[in-house]
Amino acid sequence: MKRVLMTSLLASVAVVGGWFAAAPAQAAGTLTVSSPQDPGSWDPIDTFLINWASVATNIYDGLTYRGPDGKLVPGLATAWQELDDGKRVRFTLRKGVSFHNGEPFDAKAVKFTFDRLLGDEGKKGPQRSNYTVIEAVEIVDDFTVDFRLSAPDPVLLVKLAGYGAMIVPPKYVQEKGDDFFNAHPVGTGPFKFVSYEPKIGIKLEAYAQHWGGAPKLDRLEYRFIAEPATAVAELQAGRVDLVIPPTIPIGMISTIESNPKLAIAAVPGPGVDALRFNTKSGITKDERVRKAMIMAVDRDAIIQSILQGQAQPIASFQGALSFGYDPSLKPLPFDPAQAKALLKEAGVKPGTAVQIDVRGNDATFVEVAQAVAAYLQGVGLTASIKPYEVNVLLNDIIPSGKTGEMFQQKWGGWTLDYDNTAYAMYHTGQKWNPYDSDPKLDEMLESQRSITDRVQRERILQGIARYAAERALEMPLYNSNAIYGVNKRVKNFVPAPDNRLRLDGVSVD
Amino acid sequence: MRGFKSLEFILGATLVGGIGLAILLSGLLFPDGGESINLGARLMRPFVDARHLLGTDPLGRDVLARVVVGGKISLKVGAFSVAGAVVVGVAMGLVSGYYRGIWDVIVMRFADVQLALPFILMAITFIAIFGGGLTNTIILLIVSQWVQYARLVRGSVLALREREFILAAKAIGVPDVSILFGHLLPNLIGPVIVLMTLNVANNILLESSLTFLGLGVDPTIPSWGGMLADGRTYLQNAWWVSVFPGLAILLTVLGLNLLGDWLRDSLDPTGRTAR
Repeated sequence: MKRVLMTSLLASVAVVGGWFAAAPAQAAGTLTVSSPQDPGSWDPIDTFLINWASVATNIYDGLTYRGPDGKLVPGLATAWQELDDGKRVRFTLRKGVSFHNGEPFDAKAVKFTFDRLLGDEGKKGPQRSNYTVIEAVEIVDDFTVDFRLSAPDPVLLVKLAGYGAMIVPPKYVQEKGDDFFNAHPVGTGPFKFVSYEPKIGIKLEAYAQHWGGAPKLDRLEYRFIAEPATAVAELQAGRVDLVIPPTIPIGMISTIESNPKLAIAAVPGPGVDALRFNTKSGITKDERVRKAMIMAVDRDAIIQSILQGQAQPIASFQGALSFGYDPSLKPLPFDPAQAKALLKEAGVKPGTAVQIDVRGNDATFVEVAQAVAAYLQGVGLTASIKPYEVNVLLNDIIPSGKTGEMFQQKWGGWTLDYDNTAYAMYHTGQKWNPYDSDPKLDEMLESQRSITDRVQRERILQGIARYAAERALEMPLYNSNAIYGVNKRVKNFVPAPDNRLRLDGVSVD
Repeated sequence: MRGFKSLEFILGATLVGGIGLAILLSGLLFPDGGESINLGARLMRPFVDARHLLGTDPLGRDVLARVVVGGKISLKVGAFSVAGAVVVGVAMGLVSGYYRGIWDVIVMRFADVQLALPFILMAITFIAIFGGGLTNTIILLIVSQWVQYARLVRGSVLALREREFILAAKAIGVPDVSILFGHLLPNLIGPVIVLMTLNVANNILLESSLTFLGLGVDPTIPSWGGMLADGRTYLQNAWWVSVFPGLAILLTVLGLNLLGDWLRDSLDPTGRTAR
């Protein structure tokens, strides 16, 4: 009896083992993605998390669409035109589109989406403030809508491609309620929702009737894995096919590259890093000292060694993807001799202490800061690093102006428009600008906000960048890459710089 | 009293003494304090270059120098935090266990409240108010750990205070201070020493998790815990960055545990554990 039991136990173990062994191979057409964060709600008006978008871009469509190339193309709107000097935008909607639940897409759905976003339900979420320029959405006919604006907004079309502006099904949301919608999203996108387990994962399947054609994958599954080492281990074991940013630390890149089945796909993202100066007090009040400190640090060497080339040097606080980027603006050169001369001229004694405030949990940046400190040591400054708990740094130390001479500033910049960054960094009284107040800069920042002429606006934005660089308001460090770890069985994967992955063109072997 | 010839003592003293000596001499051996960065020589393998015997870390700093110099910070944190917590905790425990009454109620309820607070929450609040750094890290560890000793000691005192030898001492008029420190303390010091040796190791690691959360010491100053945290992402391609400081912690803790064992057995007035 015992023996029989043992044999059957062994047999069942073997079966289970076999099933586990087969699991990594996966059913044909299923792509498994590791994402570092569960956004908690799938409702477009509830979120501002990048990792919401890396899932939801597959479920929903916006009126416009911005792909990995950064170009704005038609989405659910096939055409648009500006009327009334930019204070009215008329959209022609795509015909024959229906939501995953069968509801038709038309002008009423667009009006419902924006009434909801700008109304009471939207007030509870963080998205509404991005869209308050919209006064009303007016239905012209079933497939034409007018957006009435309080002022021309040059970034509106970009904002309509993401986040809060995703079109939601009116009947479904009204009948099922907001709480149900949070956990059971329905849109018009290429994949439809199957199931969601909080903190574990979300499963989607192909929506064959999508207006852009049926996706090549049958199923798309996301697992939420916060710990980078675990995510990379799962990738190595073949249990996930794609690890999306921000997950993979620079230090693990060579581990992935050395595995013949895996590859790294990297693309310059919108994210930028800088060390900003206290321009109000201390030695960094002096522009010459700030310039000397910038020249003392070999930023290219930091990028090549610590960041293993996964970043680009920047001259102003924006990357090349940003509207307002000026390729002719060059960063100050690495020149320790000149730096020493400038410090001497400014009367800074050798051995003067400089403190650099950083986010304690950002391992890569802590390494960068240590290298910066060593370079500053090289020109005779005694630099120390002060790590802070992230929320303390972001909500207290920086806004209330209690930083050291320099502090870490990370910026996401998903609108890919320098206005979003520069206004927050340089305008008097902004949360991120505790030290500086420059009337000329304020005026430039305000002047471009109501101009819809792209050429003119770009010129002003470039002027702001140049002016900020001339005053050396920050030590621009780099624009980092978005780093994806990919199993080579994944075909046609194009890394998205802003993490808004649309995986309808991807297939798996 | 157990002799100085026991294997525990010899091994423990050799380990602790050797590590202590190396740390004392670190200023002479490595005048740069393991802080000089050389981005051109990052992640060099160990046992290849005589100048970097244990290899280099992601910033090209010598791992051997950092392990030796880093011991200073780690041992400082370990020793001072435990010593502080023992002094406060044992005194509190003795007094509240011996006198009972209102004092006992106040101390123990306060201890209960403190035990209910998660350490990390306390650490973040504490450091948000008082700031990070070495001294504050040590104070934080003392504040969060004295309770363990107080509870342990109070429990033992409650059992001991009814025993005949204490009653006898009281009856012949021995002053309270002598009873507390002369009669009670030696009889309950065994478990305290065991807890101490465990906590030294624990606190070296806690310092690392605080540094990891960004609450601890300046990352340019090497510490074992900080090195472990730094080396974590490089574990698969540069094991030496974290393995050597890990080894240093292991050997120190082993040495301290052996010494602690020996000390406890030697101090036990009943001689029960002597073999």
